[in-house]
Amino acid sequence: MGPGLTWYLAVSAFLFAIGALGVMLRRSPLIVLLSLEIMLNGANLALITFSRHHGQLDGQVFALAVMAVAASEVVVGLGLIVAVNRRKLELDVDKLSTLRG
Amino acid sequence: MIVASWVCLFAPLGAAVAITLGGNLWSRRAAGYLATASVATSFVASTIAFFSALGREHDDRSQLSTAWTWLSAGNFHAGLSVLVDPLSILMMLIVSGVGALIVAYSIGYMDGEDEERRYFAYMALFVFSMLLLVQSGNLLLLLVGWGLVGLSSYLLIGYHHERPAAVAAAKKAFIMNAFGDATMALAFFLLIQRTGSLEFANAFAWAGGSTGSWAVNLVALGLLGGAVAKSAQLPLQTWLPDAMEGPTPVSALIHAATMVTAGVYLLVRTSTIFEAAPRVQDLAAGIGAATLLMAGLIALVQVDIKRVIAYSTMSQIGYMFLGAGLGAYANSMFHLMTHAFFKALLFLAAGIVIHALVGEQDMRKMGGLRRFLPRTYFAFLVGALALTGIPPLSGFFSKDSILASALAAGTYGQILFVAGLVGAFLTGLYTFRMVFMVFGGEPSPYAREHFHRPERSEPWVWMGSTVAVLSVLAVVGGWVQIAGIWHPFADFLKPTVEPLVDPSGAQDLLASVLAVGLGLAGVSIAWAIYSAGTMTAPAARPVRALFEHKFYFDELYDRLFYRPGDRLARALGDYLERPLILGSVNGIAVGARRIAAEVGQFQTGLVRTYALAVAGGVAVLSLVFVWVK
Repeated sequence: MGPGLTWYLAVSAFLFAIGALGVMLRRSPLIVLLSLEIMLNGANLALITFSRHHGQLDGQVFALAVMAVAASEVVVGLGLIVAVNRRKLELDVDKLSTLRG
Repeated sequence: MIVASWVCLFAPLGAAVAITLGGNLWSRRAAGYLATASVATSFVASTIAFFSALGREHDDRSQLSTAWTWLSAGNFHAGLSVLVDPLSILMMLIVSGVGALIVAYSIGYMDGEDEERRYFAYMALFVFSMLLLVQSGNLLLLLVGWGLVGLSSYLLIGYHHERPAAVAAAKKAFIMNAFGDATMALAFFLLIQRTGSLEFANAFAWAGGSTGSWAVNLVALGLLGGAVAKSAQLPLQTWLPDAMEGPTPVSALIHAATMVTAGVYLLVRTSTIFEAAPRVQDLAAGIGAATLLMAGLIALVQVDIKRVIAYSTMSQIGYMFLGAGLGAYANSMFHLMTHAFFKALLFLAAGIVIHALVGEQDMRKMGGLRRFLPRTYFAFLVGALALTGIPPLSGFFSKDSILASALAAGTYGQILFVAGLVGAFLTGLYTFRMVFMVFGGEPSPYAREHFHRPERSEPWVWMGSTVAVLSVLAVVGGWVQIAGIWHPFADFLKPTVEPLVDPSGAQDLLASVLAVGLGLAGVSIAWAIYSAGTMTAPAARPVRALFEHKFYFDELYDRLFYRPGDRLARALGDYLERPLILGSVNGIAVGARRIAAEVGQFQTGLVRTYALAVAGGVAVLSLVFVWVK
């Protein structure tokens, strides 16, 4: 049987927390994107866990959709980072704050 | 008879709509021709109606034709209906006949103006409105016509909209008239409350059955208010002299021949109601007498040729009010008709003078124009003699028959008769003061320098020919009725209105002799002062100032209504609108901006703080869920 439901959820929560901390604490946009991916995968793990637990496929389908969205989001994010870099701006999310109200 | 009267009513409206919608498709001349043709069509139609009425029995001459029910509310119904009876046929003939002549004259007078098409559309609209007023088959439709003539008068007075004085005069006329419209509307409300309808027949039946009651007095007062405002009688007379800012043909048609006499028409049309309220009818006669004296006195010192004629119009309508108020309805209508002829003639002849002097209206600059404009001088002289009431011109027959009726109407009538005689003297004086100042003597330097000889071109032909036709009418117009001997005019009106007074032959003779004598006295004094120079006008400064300031009515109304109203509006603006309404709106805006500035502080632009806020929110929510469970 392997480890129980609780363990899976614990790992998932742990991954999500690491990701969230990364998003909040790091300044490099690359690392922020990476941390976002970790959060998404933590959530995916929880989805798949529940899917297995209930014996239904819904959660897995949803996880696949999350992966697709994550991939496209990374494309946009990386594109932005490349564009920022091209204009010789500093790669620091705290400095890219001109769009605030 | 019925078909003809509908054609008569709608022909000018058709022209007005066609000119308005056609715009540039019509050449300037064509718009004038169309307007003239439509009014002439009306005249032909009313002539047909007239003869077809003559061919019927007396009792059969009054026909009510309803096109459809125009308005209905509960038990109240009002149809789009015309009443064709001798009174309305007479008015149709005057309005469309004199109207056609004046519109034709306008083709010449307005030649070369910038916006002729607009002018002719307004003129056609006015003729339609006036015909609606006189043909309406119930009081509601009469009020519609009443309002529409006020509107077209406003539009035409303000025709020169680039002149501030014209715009102010138009507004003044409209507001004064609106006052009369309001009192009429109130009278109609009372009528609806009492009888549930605005049909003439129902209203007259009710009035006849409740003679002297307060309701019938109030209704009569309301109608009198409307008549007084429209006909520029005391105390609502101040708009008429200012209305001379409009083009001269407009003054001739609206402010002399037709619209201002609508009040007299109303008094005669609703005479049953006024007879049921004798005090109000006496008041109408008194107002007429007071106005004819006051206007005559003011006319003595005016220097603008059109204003002199305007005051004389007020004065002559005063005679008509006097007659209608004393119950001499046919004589009043008779004077209305002859007055339409000779007053239109005077205005149109004055228009030629003004045109020849390139727009100058000040009589002090004129003089000796008899040399330059002999035929116009002759026409003007005919009009002036008719106005003064010299036999055998039209004014003699009509004015003297009113005076004779006054003499036959008891003590009150005799007091008013004296006022009328003084008025006749004043009429001779101011009319011939004008004639001598404009035409008499040697040509003034101004006239020599600015005189502009009329050429034999089409515009001048239109102006000259219409003035000629009106001169003939001013001479022969009075011959349809000779007091005491021949009275087909009164007989024709008999099915509609029966006169209350019947002067004897002696009274007719006395009134004629006195009025003609006093008129001639006025003429000779005018001759002595303004032509021969053997007399000088008395200086009497305070009296002169009183006349020149038109008895201080404008100043009085300014003090009494305009200034307090202005002050009240300013006070409301300062103490109510600005702090309360503007303050609250601005307060909301300022408050919203302040709150937004505070909230804006949270938007740092740092992704991490947003993420922290989201995470914190989720944490709080989870805690809440756990706790609630």
